[in-house]
Amino acid sequence: MTLVLRLVFSVLILCSATTSFAEPVRIQLWHQMIYSHRQVLSEALRQFEKENPDIVIRETYRETEELRSSYQAAAMGNSGPELVFGPSDQIGPFATMGIIQPLDGLLSPEELAQYDPLALPAYEGRHYMLGGTVGNHLMLLYNKKLLPTPPQTTDELIHLGQKLTADLDGDGKIDRYGLVFNYTEPFFFAPFIPAFGEPFMTADFAPRLAQPGLSKTFQFILDLRDKYKIIPKECDYETANALFKQNKAAMLINGDWSWGDYRDAGVDFGIARIPMVSSTGKWPSPLVGTVGYSLNAHFQSPAHKEAALKVLRYLTSASVQKLFTQKVGVMPSLLSLRADAVVKQNPLLQASSSIMAVGLPMPVVPEVRGVWDSLRIQYQKVLAGTLNAEQGAQSAQAMAEAQIQNMNQVIPPDAGALVVKGLVGLLILVLLYLSRNSVVLFFRGFRGPQKFVYFMMLPAFIGIFAVIIYPFFYNIAISFSNFSLRTFQDWSIVGFHNYWEAISDPKFYSLLLKTVVWTVVNVAFHVTLGVFLAVIINQLMPAKAFWRTLLIIPWAVPQYITALTWRGMFNQEYGPINQFLQKFLHLSPVQWLSQPFTAFVACIVTNVWLGFPFMMIVALGGLQAIPQSLYEAAYLDKANAWQRFRHITLPLLAPVMIPAALLGSIWTFNNLNVVWLVSNAGEPGDQTHILVSYVYKAAFNLYRYGYAAAVSVLIFLMLVIWSLSSLRSQYKKETQA
Amino acid sequence: MAHIEFSQITKSFGRSHILKGIDLEIASGEFLVLVGPSGCGKSTLLRTLAGLETPDAGAIRVNGQDITRQEPQNRDVSMVFQNYALYPHMNVAENMGFSLHLQKKSKTEIANRVREIAQLLQIDHLLERKPKELSGGQRQRVALGRALARQTSIVLFDEPLSNLDAHLRSQMRVEIKRLHQKINSTMIYVTHDQMEATTMGDRIAVLKDGVVEQIGTPSEIYHQPKNIFIASFIGSPEMNFIEGAVVGQLPWPEAKKPGQLLGVRPEAIKVSEGPVLAQEWELGDYQVELSENLGGQTMLHGSLQGQTVRLLVDSAKEYHPGQKMKLKIDLTKAHLFDKSSGLNQRL
Amino acid sequence: MIKRIFAWLSLCIFAVFSLYPMLYVLSVSLRGDNAFQTQSLEIFSSQSTLKNFVVLFTETDFLLWMRNSLFISAVTTLLGVALASTSAYALSRHRFRGRNLMLFSLLASQMFPATMLILPFYIILAKMHLIDNFWGLFLIYSSTALPFCIWQMKAYYDTIPKELEEAAVLDGCSRWMTFYKIILPVSSPALVITALFSFMTSWSEYVIAAVVLQDPELYTLPLGLRSFQASLATQWGLYAAGALIVSVPVLILFISISRYLVSGLTMGSVKG
Repeated sequence: MTLVLRLVFSVLILCSATTSFAEPVRIQLWHQMIYSHRQVLSEALRQFEKENPDIVIRETYRETEELRSSYQAAAMGNSGPELVFGPSDQIGPFATMGIIQPLDGLLSPEELAQYDPLALPAYEGRHYMLGGTVGNHLMLLYNKKLLPTPPQTTDELIHLGQKLTADLDGDGKIDRYGLVFNYTEPFFFAPFIPAFGEPFMTADFAPRLAQPGLSKTFQFILDLRDKYKIIPKECDYETANALFKQNKAAMLINGDWSWGDYRDAGVDFGIARIPMVSSTGKWPSPLVGTVGYSLNAHFQSPAHKEAALKVLRYLTSASVQKLFTQKVGVMPSLLSLRADAVVKQNPLLQASSSIMAVGLPMPVVPEVRGVWDSLRIQYQKVLAGTLNAEQGAQSAQAMAEAQIQNMNQVIPPDAGALVVKGLVGLLILVLLYLSRNSVVLFFRGFRGPQKFVYFMMLPAFIGIFAVIIYPFFYNIAISFSNFSLRTFQDWSIVGFHNYWEAISDPKFYSLLLKTVVWTVVNVAFHVTLGVFLAVIINQLMPAKAFWRTLLIIPWAVPQYITALTWRGMFNQEYGPINQFLQKFLHLSPVQWLSQPFTAFVACIVTNVWLGFPFMMIVALGGLQAIPQSLYEAAYLDKANAWQRFRHITLPLLAPVMIPAALLGSIWTFNNLNVVWLVSNAGEPGDQTHILVSYVYKAAFNLYRYGYAAAVSVLIFLMLVIWSLSSLRSQYKKETQA
Repeated sequence: MAHIEFSQITKSFGRSHILKGIDLEIASGEFLVLVGPSGCGKSTLLRTLAGLETPDAGAIRVNGQDITRQEPQNRDVSMVFQNYALYPHMNVAENMGFSLHLQKKSKTEIANRVREIAQLLQIDHLLERKPKELSGGQRQRVALGRALARQTSIVLFDEPLSNLDAHLRSQMRVEIKRLHQKINSTMIYVTHDQMEATTMGDRIAVLKDGVVEQIGTPSEIYHQPKNIFIASFIGSPEMNFIEGAVVGQLPWPEAKKPGQLLGVRPEAIKVSEGPVLAQEWELGDYQVELSENLGGQTMLHGSLQGQTVRLLVDSAKEYHPGQKMKLKIDLTKAHLFDKSSGLNQRL
Repeated sequence: MIKRIFAWLSLCIFAVFSLYPMLYVLSVSLRGDNAFQTQSLEIFSSQSTLKNFVVLFTETDFLLWMRNSLFISAVTTLLGVALASTSAYALSRHRFRGRNLMLFSLLASQMFPATMLILPFYIILAKMHLIDNFWGLFLIYSSTALPFCIWQMKAYYDTIPKELEEAAVLDGCSRWMTFYKIILPVSSPALVITALFSFMTSWSEYVIAAVVLQDPELYTLPLGLRSFQASLATQWGLYAAGALIVSVPVLILFISISRYLVSGLTMGSVKG
């Protein structure tokens, strides 16, 4: 007996051993490398796979922000890639949430000492990331053809800029700018802050924004735009990029990652430090950091961990770093490579080193997020003219502090928690008791004569339960909890805190109002346009199918494509809408996306475009149901077209349009895609928000999951009550009539 | 060929008691008409036989076998619906052959049977058409054909002619009757039209409020109505009901009691000129108000002792409004009803 | 007369309004360099090139994404139609306690901001090890389109007279056969709409696919297109070319069934 068992056992072990040899370990790497860098990564990884046939690596690209949120989401389910690559400021949040692990135990101090300290950002004393490159910093790029020598000071900058900003073809539009850069993004103007005053964070990571350094920075950029007019009225990253590539910008502030692109575009460019601030004599300090690799806190197996570590070492090894430097010209992090020919013979890298010398290390604590967000928002308000520079700085400080406090807050459970738990328990008991008959009947139904019916419904309701009902109740649970950044792995019920916060925040009500306006305006346009077009097509047109087809296009195209397209169309410089306004209507171009009101209008226009076909189709159907004889009778009664419309079409169309309008209102109220994508997550200044986009931001950007869940529940309750009451009143009307 | 028996069939929907203990026996091969006003339960009763409704209490037996709880698919019953219920996505041939197709009969067998029935109903030129391309009358024939193609022992009709115009209706009445002569299935026909009932049925069952008021041959129902309701419901033109002093004077002992009504059909009333025969009785003075020319006969409307009375006279004679005359009735064709119980006193 | 001119003019304006953004995407896709920005309004210019389309098919994984999307959409559509048609039938023909509640909750399910549902949903999937394969997507796509589709189909079934089923039953059909042979063929307009909505849900869906699918071999078209975008270096030409190709099948579908849309949607709306 035992002999047989032993035999079986050893066979099994042998099998598992051989299979583990046969099966390669699959490692996933998520990154946000731009296109040219991706090619190099791929090359390096394939080489690694050749040399290590037992390891297979799957690299996946995600855009930076998305990388962060999807990694967080994946980590929540204890899954996610073994390696994640991104900018150093992502380790603050990740480490706090406990989803990446320190490298200190896995790499020896000697190993770590080989690298530039800038490539080993530390958080709370531990190293969470190892970068292959150092830099990622901003500098002044200048077009050598337009500008042989770069300015050294801001006064020179302004002077040269004014000379070079010109309307070349005399059509009233400026064709060449002295300076372009993505000036709405804090990262791009952050270098100026310490140059005008003090660094924007203290040594112990508190925000220092209510200082003259910030307000002067705001003012400086305002002046560049309005007083000296050397930067475009609206300029995002894409615009700056395009202008520089087309030789339509003399100077550009951008980072080392972009060199490859400009080289390929054939721009003869040079790099220099961002000019010294004339009034203070200080050099702007670009933030120097790294983009590097971190290890997931959880691994599927020890084999995975080992393989991941191996890949990490490989990707930061001399051979791979050299490859990157050769192909895309970035500065390696291995100190030993600095003396290598490949670095020494690269003029850009040499210049870049001197630029980095005046830089500041990029803080990696999660508080940076709070600072960035508040800077961005207040700054956009200053640009839009809502606040002046001084006010902007003050608000930035206040907001940053508030956000940081919110983020770090771990709300303790209070009496409310007991109430909640008690209520829920009671509710469940009551429901169980009330429905005991129904439940028994329900299960008996599966055996009864009607079992056919039950089985028909079962699959659908399982699906709906899993996908909608369970998450719904989970959300309700979260809304009573303190689920946020610090309590990522271990949240608990705390009571009504989130609801109090939501209800007592005036912003909630202003957003609610805005959302209602959004819904009403949109649905009004949808229905009006839909009915209008349906009436025309139905009653006045031959070839109905043709027009119907043409006008249905907006509905057919996927939303994420159209939202981004419209965003592009509203672009101040290049968007066809402004071009149309200028060329055909001779109106001045509108800064659509940088003013809160016009940004909102842009969202509305996009949503109207998306939504009217649905109403048009419903109206077409409803119109077909109206008997022609009614119109004939009205015609004989000498009613004109308008009267016929008002007294026949409208009342008979109402029973069809009203449910459609109700459904449309609910969809519009909760439509995240359009507002989010068109305004790029609430720009300008977080003022283009409706309730749902605000909820999304709170949850996924600010980690306030509990709060976001509470607001979602409130939204839901409002909609339920509203639709119940309108359904009831409609029902009453119908039963009375 | 099926002998059907309903025993104490009771059915309620929520709080409405539709059928209140129906007892009915139908002979094999009989054409029975269920007639009555709307809501009387005739359709419901029909549907219990089909199996589309299950009675709350009571039993239905076909050829002695209790089928009360049997599934409709397994019953040997076919039905012609009021709204035809033709399958819109199938053509006429497919509609008619559907049940045979389900029975897995061969294609040739189905085709032959369908053609046979179609020829019988004169719709064989329509076999390829879809229902939406047919007129109302054609659709009705297809519905008929579908029910007959199955050769079931019981065929049910649920007010099949109510959606047709008058001309078609009278045409179809005859056709259905002819079909019954050809096919010896037991047929049960539900209608609210008393004309259809009397012209088509071997026997008629008059229902009201979930109860069988009377069952008998058309002749029995017509000549010996058990109560006021049946007397007024069956027979066209409608019976006259006269009360008052006139009634008390009738030569019947029961007529002396208070609260009695004289029921007499318009064709049983004549203008009194000349001798009054033994079985006739003079009613009194009558003034003509209106005359309707019905073709071969004229219907006079007028008042007798303050009540409206109608009578049929020969069209050859002309009567004008305001004309006065005396009326007499045929006593053998007159009835006496008690106002409160409604019952015929002389049966 | 004036009415006619006015009508024509309005239609033309709106046709342009409706069509222009797609033309714009077309023009971007035809631009040689990666620039999103030009200063001209023209769609076709002397520099128009098909380079982006070529690169799209030969150098990117576009065909792989398309294959994945087609597969997922097809399965989801089948599942969605099967589930919606059956459960709507049960709801339409069967009275039971809590039926109205269920119907209302179908409507109510549209009212909760979908974005918040992603989080808990992801956790379920992770716990059931359905991440990074298509099963999670099948489940969620067919289920999210369900409430609307069930509502839709139920309203349509309500308009089918009961006598039709009774006739079928008397002809000898079992309940399942009645559904399959009679009800389904008659409900084709509503089925078409259900199929369309299920298809659209999965073909155009981005957020959930991004959460569930992590392996690039499994990417669907929306995920693939997104990879052309980087906040600092978007490849607009490729993106536009891909966007056009993604939109075309949906457009064709929509156009070919637009006549069904009119009748099918009205049924639902009228009965409400």
